[in-house]
Amino acid sequence: MDIILGYVTTILVFFFTYNIFTLGLNIQFGYTGILNFTVITFMAIGGYVAGVLAMPKAAAGSGIYYILGLNLPWPIAALGGVLAAGLLGYLIGQIALKRLRSDYLAIVTLATGTLLYGLIGNGTSIFDGWQGLFNVPQPFAGFRTWTPLGYSIFFTIMTGVLFVLLWLFANRIYKSPLGRVMRAVRDDQDVVEAFGKNTFKVRMTAMVIGSMYVGVGGVLTIAYITALSPAGWTTGETFVVWAALLVGGRGNNFGAIVGSFLVAVVFNEATRYLPQIPAHPNLIPDIRYVLIGLAVILSVYFRPQGMFPEKKNTFLEVPLGDSSKAIEEHLAGGLSKVGEQ
Amino acid sequence: MSLFFLTLGFGLVTASVLSLLSVGLSLQFGVTNFVNFAYGSYLSAGMLFTWTFSAKLHFPFVLAAACGVILTAILALIVNEVVFEPFAKRRKSIFYMLIVTFGLSLLLDSILQIFYGVGFEKFPIKQSAAIKIGPFDFTGVQLLIILVAVVSMVVIHLLLTRTSLGKKMRAMSDNPDLAKISGIDTKSVTRATWAISGALAGLGGVVLALNTVYFETTTGDSLLFVIFAAVILGGIGQTYGAMLGALVIGVVTEVSAVWVSSAYKTDVAFLILVVMLLVRPQGIIASQGKA
Repeated sequence: MDIILGYVTTILVFFFTYNIFTLGLNIQFGYTGILNFTVITFMAIGGYVAGVLAMPKAAAGSGIYYILGLNLPWPIAALGGVLAAGLLGYLIGQIALKRLRSDYLAIVTLATGTLLYGLIGNGTSIFDGWQGLFNVPQPFAGFRTWTPLGYSIFFTIMTGVLFVLLWLFANRIYKSPLGRVMRAVRDDQDVVEAFGKNTFKVRMTAMVIGSMYVGVGGVLTIAYITALSPAGWTTGETFVVWAALLVGGRGNNFGAIVGSFLVAVVFNEATRYLPQIPAHPNLIPDIRYVLIGLAVILSVYFRPQGMFPEKKNTFLEVPLGDSSKAIEEHLAGGLSKVGEQ
Repeated sequence: MSLFFLTLGFGLVTASVLSLLSVGLSLQFGVTNFVNFAYGSYLSAGMLFTWTFSAKLHFPFVLAAACGVILTAILALIVNEVVFEPFAKRRKSIFYMLIVTFGLSLLLDSILQIFYGVGFEKFPIKQSAAIKIGPFDFTGVQLLIILVAVVSMVVIHLLLTRTSLGKKMRAMSDNPDLAKISGIDTKSVTRATWAISGALAGLGGVVLALNTVYFETTTGDSLLFVIFAAVILGGIGQTYGAMLGALVIGVVTEVSAVWVSSAYKTDVAFLILVVMLLVRPQGIIASQGKA
């Protein structure tokens, strides 16, 4: 029973963190149309920074090297990680968001991802290179004496609560004036520009908020696994998030949840149980990536709006001439509809 | 000073490799108007196909390389036929085309990895001794790379200026709709462009593998943004700009090894890309409506 419960909590943590990644990408791509092709790098930066802030100083002679090691309490370290991810988003935005064409941003994100991957992997003194960080302290582990299962359950609940809060916040943004401008920028930047909005600022806001979301996911990932190395954030992982968003439905946070569940949990977990072929240990992961690549291409071809498309805005249309009847009818149908969306 | 000339020589070789690759990417961008993020996979495919012909089937190297390049061109054609053509028919926005090429890169890389596995490969050819030309030291292979690049650039130049296909490609690059109503068969021009782009990616991959000796399935992807840097530096969609960008990026990244560790070569390329995007995002040779 304990084993099953432990497994369920792991899956749930996985599900919640992937949801947070997908929400972050949804704010960037789904709301605002920003092509971020290196989602997973923000997760890594968030995780690494939170890790080194929470870990004690690297012991001399242990063969493990990393910067900082400030031994900070977890909430502060976590905040540091999230801010670091946001800062990276800001820097990338500064380079590329002023451009009109979206290709440039896509190229810069991809280039930054490749660059940081190489720098962090080869730069052993930053985050311990290809070995990666391990023995990262778990949040609130010293609060009381946890049983392993008790801790897993606690962590799952904490992640779940964070996810719900972030989900509500993402929905709040969607309905806010800022969210409306974001979607307008996505649909036609020139028109929004003509209305006197600072589109650069709007896109930058989306970029930074989205990056911070992914950073939260990264902080949670490293806290749960207690380790992170470059092998854990290859480009392929970025596709998992993209596939989740595209399959679920861009611009729709509910779609993002369903997509995360289908792609990150059901699909990833199911392929885990395929028999391993000893001569080709990489065959199964490769096939998984082939299928995820196919899922991205096919969903864009057949159903670019995803399983749960974004709701179209409905407005009250008042006919010319005698309009009182139409308004009365509309009011009878429910007042709430007028203001909504 | 000798170190400077040594790195400058390396720079010219790297620039030759990059020129093939960036011209291939830039030509295709000019005609189809979207960036191909799967280009790195074509590059890897070119070197791996050649490896199969040369190391497994024991073809003479030149023949193996020719087969590899042709196969890569065929791969690019098939991908266009199966993936891009249907999308173009539906007039998908550029957003989706970028996502599709991005997804395609994962797909092709993983397929290559299924067949070739992880780990480094190497062409079964002998390393030649150094030849001294003026202040430079080149190996025979490096001279061959420069020769291949120069000949290819001349061929591309002649193709674009002297042939009907080249003129049609330039017309499509300027204005695809106008080209279409002027009676140009845009579909077949697009096909030809993909074949040329694929062949250049394959050829670039082969000479890259000759230059770095060891290679693996992800070699192409790790070079991809250096190619982008060269293309953006020259002005995206500009063929001659891409040649110029490749020359600058190739020489600067190699010569930078005089001052910074050569491990940071690609970081230097990234720095150039960032500075360029901040200062002159339209590239050295700007083209209207492409930036």
